[in-house]
Amino acid sequence: MYKKQALKEKDLHKLSGFPKNKMGKILGYDNDHLKMPNKIIEMGLLPETVFRILYQAPFSGPMYVEFGDEKSRIALREEEGDYIIVQEWD
Amino acid sequence: MQENKKKKVLLVGNPNVGKSTVFNTLCNKKQKTGNYAGVTVASYSGHYSYKDEEVEVVDLPGSYSIYPSSEDEAIFSKFLIDEQQNYAGVVYILEALSLKRGLLLFQQIQDLGIPLILVVNQIDQAQRRGIDIDIQQFSNALNIKIIQTNAKEQIGIDQIREAVFNNDFKKTEKTSFEIPNEHKDFIAKIVAHKGLDSDYEAWMSISSGVELSKIESVHDILNSPDAKSLVPKRLQVQETVRRYQNVDKILANVITKKPQFKELLTEKLDKVLVHKFWGYVIFMLILLIIFQSVFFLAEYPMNWIESFFSWLSAFTGEHLPEGPVNSLVSNGIIPGLGGIMVFAPQIGILLYFLYLLEDSGYMARVIFLMDRFLRPFGLNGKSIVPLVSGTACAIPAVISTRNIENVKERLLTILVTPFMTCSARLPVYSIIIGLVISDKSFLGIKYKALVLMGMYLLGFLVALFSAAILKRFIKDKGKTYLVMDLPTYKKPLFGYDFKMVLGKVWDFITGAGKIIFIVSIIIWFLSYFGPAQKTNQMVATDVKLDHSYLAKMGKAIEPAIAPLGYDWKMGVGIITSFVAREVFVGTMSTLYSLSDDAPEVKVIDKMRHDVKPNGEKVFNFATGISILLFYAFAMQCVSTLAVVYRETKSLKWTGFQVVMMTGLAYFVSMFIYQILK
Repeated sequence: MYKKQALKEKDLHKLSGFPKNKMGKILGYDNDHLKMPNKIIEMGLLPETVFRILYQAPFSGPMYVEFGDEKSRIALREEEGDYIIVQEWD
Repeated sequence: MQENKKKKVLLVGNPNVGKSTVFNTLCNKKQKTGNYAGVTVASYSGHYSYKDEEVEVVDLPGSYSIYPSSEDEAIFSKFLIDEQQNYAGVVYILEALSLKRGLLLFQQIQDLGIPLILVVNQIDQAQRRGIDIDIQQFSNALNIKIIQTNAKEQIGIDQIREAVFNNDFKKTEKTSFEIPNEHKDFIAKIVAHKGLDSDYEAWMSISSGVELSKIESVHDILNSPDAKSLVPKRLQVQETVRRYQNVDKILANVITKKPQFKELLTEKLDKVLVHKFWGYVIFMLILLIIFQSVFFLAEYPMNWIESFFSWLSAFTGEHLPEGPVNSLVSNGIIPGLGGIMVFAPQIGILLYFLYLLEDSGYMARVIFLMDRFLRPFGLNGKSIVPLVSGTACAIPAVISTRNIENVKERLLTILVTPFMTCSARLPVYSIIIGLVISDKSFLGIKYKALVLMGMYLLGFLVALFSAAILKRFIKDKGKTYLVMDLPTYKKPLFGYDFKMVLGKVWDFITGAGKIIFIVSIIIWFLSYFGPAQKTNQMVATDVKLDHSYLAKMGKAIEPAIAPLGYDWKMGVGIITSFVAREVFVGTMSTLYSLSDDAPEVKVIDKMRHDVKPNGEKVFNFATGISILLFYAFAMQCVSTLAVVYRETKSLKWTGFQVVMMTGLAYFVSMFIYQILK
């Protein structure tokens, strides 16, 4: 996990690399090996959901994401964000 | 008239939807922790009576889905499904601000054929945000009775009672989740084979690991060739996505929105509270305020309790007839009990703050802030809650690890939490620091206060570093992750939390009190009697302390503890402390009250002036520091061990914890004493 981090470049198409304070939309998941925690989906981060990353804790800590019509708030790590494929929304 | 038979209902919902507020306003009668079917559900049961009907309400831990991802949720699912015959129905709480998420679990429960009443809480909040909910439409779409509440203002609570009274619980006739075509045949086969009530029950049993009493032997079905292609996790994803699509359709007709959003309190507060810099400053400040209050606010009640017990001890000493009973009561039991009661205020204050933080929604922010810093130690952001609670008591702290999903992180947290300076260590620290640290100040801060702070810091650091070492030796099962709801801030339930604290403190006093009561009696007996001094005696009574059985026992272990700098009295203190740390103080009070050369001198002064045979003070700087470190590290709490065993279900890890902590304590104390002496 940590090894990967050094090499990882910010990927704009993943939630983990998406810029802060910009509206984005979830397209789907990068979950071929079923490693993604189901909780991500259970909490409502579903395809077509509109979101915005509001904050991130220091040293690449967890991200604070606001999403959906109900403006739910969720905290997840960059590793979890890697599973979620996103694009800009306008 | 109704028969006076107790009706049982379950309170269910997502975490942070105001479930405990509803519970608290609903149940005006006694509330208690519930023990069910061998597991202690981390929840409460309460009672109320309405129109002559007695109702028991069980408040289950919050969950997002019927498929558990943590121990907490596993307890929830098992209880909900296995206990079905024993409850009348489920009162399901939805928060008006997050209907969508809440409906996922709601529909799962509905599809299991469990009768439900739906409560939509905090409608006022939704309206303030400009959301209108068409309740009539909602009720029709879900085919269920809906009650609107604002539990904080007590609105709608009587409607819940009325609905429960009228048995308005409704089962659904048609399930909202349709089994995907490709699996229909297989599911039908299971239903027929096991005689289940619904397709969904069969589906659920194969897509989750939860063993239902009805379908205990799903494993043989899963091993059949038809099942080979089924991946439970994929089935769960499939179900969740479909359900959410369904929920979207329902909500589209139910929620009518006005365009403008008003900025909520939560959004404003989080600008500061999760800030990269200020967030941490505020967290530190809050901790500082808590510990300040624990020490300074608690001082007053502690003084009252202390004077009360010394008065009581003197009073019984004077008024009971001379003899062994007098000595037992006034020198044994009363000082022993007093030694423990005295720090009930500190535990109470600490717990109260922790409840308020949890309740207000702030704890989730602390987890968010701390996750990155705890990960290198093999812990999860969620470990911060047990670690901070561990400064009150390791028992609730160990139980609170249940929401850590990853098995390894949870085990690590359980193993290191007892290093945190719990309140039982506090009286030991206070008395030893009082004895061996000078009264001088450094830059206006007393050395004593600095040392005490240092002990707290030490506990925290040792917890972290031992986690960092232990993580190498624990096998990783499953992936670590953090996916956590950040709830809206709420005004904490000051009154309810206060009641909870009183309950906990009372548990502590009675629990520890019982032990100390027994231990003081045993100590008194062992000190009142001694080996025969004359040939015609069986035992000698009313011996001098030095000649008692107690002294014999203490002296027997003296060789083992001498390298640490302890004399036999401390040895006795350490032996009795293995029941619970705070017993040390009770033991010392008893021991030093017994050596009654000068009964009017305070125990602490007797300890201060006590000398070893070689003329050295018993409590000098070196032994003092050594004993402080011993109590900081050693695993000396039977109750914690019992809880650790229950939570880990592993004798190996429980035993390991005892050996690791106590071994560390022994060697560190010996090392320090040998350097300092």
